Amino acid sequence: MGSRGASVLLSRASRIKTKLQSTLEASIIEVEDVSHQHAGHAAVKGTQGETHFNVKIVSPKFQGQSLVKRHRMVYDALAEELQSGLHALSIIAKTPEEAAPK
Amino acid sequence: MATINLSPPQITFSCRCLSSSSSSRNAPTLSFYSHFSPSHSSLSVSLKHRNNTIKHRCLITASALKNLSETELVPVPVVPEEVSGKLPSDSGVYAIFDKNDELQFIGISRNIAASLSAHLKSVPELCCSVKVGVVSDPDRAALTQAWKSWMEEHIKATGKVPPGNEPGNATWIRQPSKKKPDLRLTPGHHVQLTVPLEELIDKLVKENKVVAFIKGSRSAPLCGFSQRVIGILESEGVDYESIDVLDEEYNFGLRETLKKYSNWPTFPQIFVNGELVGGCDILTSMYEKGELAGLFKK
Repeated sequence: MGSRGASVLLSRASRIKTKLQSTLEASIIEVEDVSHQHAGHAAVKGTQGETHFNVKIVSPKFQGQSLVKRHRMVYDALAEELQSGLHALSIIAKTPEEAAPK
Repeated sequence: MATINLSPPQITFSCRCLSSSSSSRNAPTLSFYSHFSPSHSSLSVSLKHRNNTIKHRCLITASALKNLSETELVPVPVVPEEVSGKLPSDSGVYAIFDKNDELQFIGISRNIAASLSAHLKSVPELCCSVKVGVVSDPDRAALTQAWKSWMEEHIKATGKVPPGNEPGNATWIRQPSKKKPDLRLTPGHHVQLTVPLEELIDKLVKENKVVAFIKGSRSAPLCGFSQRVIGILESEGVDYESIDVLDEEYNFGLRETLKKYSNWPTFPQIFVNGELVGGCDILTSMYEKGELAGLFKK
């Protein structure tokens, strides 16, 4: 809930984490910046990185939702990031039951 | 006659009894192509066949394989989709006969049904019946040995190499360059649209069963995620349309319009029966769970 100025100082990875945690009540959230893996990408050139992320999120809110719906929930939570240079997300979205070790 | 090539070999064989290209009597160079699912890589091996030096090794796996002449001739289903139900998806050796019961090709495969289905799609006029020899414990050596034994048996019986196995004959291999061209949404940037782009998109996804909006073309994707999607679609063998969202000439404005249309902020995007299925992650997950075949049949 910091001021807009303060949040910009944080890395995109931590902003993603915070937003997903609060919006989706995530019990587990892992965010990894993999922009360097896509360095040759046409759209990445000329940016400061922070374009491609892997996100793993476990949340009870995914219960009963199709994969498409789950991914949309994640995208909606990160709408601002997507408009400011976030380019791609690899999403793993599970409910607590699905994520539990067998 | 359409020819198809499988993608470059991932496994290489080292060839025994391979001599320099000296031509001894009755020494044809034989080749076979394998079909590996799901990546569809191919093997191509050249064996120099010398009539007087071939030794028959007694491998336990090879002896479990019936002789070519003893193996039952089975008709190939006319519809490629029925092949996986009627023929085994196992590894082994297969011999394809045309409508005159002439042996056209002997091949090996890690998934015989998949190989046959592919052949049936590309050269249906040559695939009328087949003999199948499943190889248990199918390591490379066993598969090669099975193939060799059938090949030798045929050559001994007829004095000829099957036409499809002649060196240089590419009838039975797939060429990646023969892919369908990508669709273009508009005739060109300079041409005024009479219909909004959203409507063109809507029409496209509703009129075509499977549509993939990708970065780059299907023969040269420009992004790893798009490439993976194309790989999956090709592997499933489904007929699909591909649209290059980076094409500023024929698909100008597509990226932003499509994001709004699908309410999805990233590419690639895959539509089936007019509905967004998702991006690379979702498609990959469905593919690994075996859900895609059912989805594409609807």
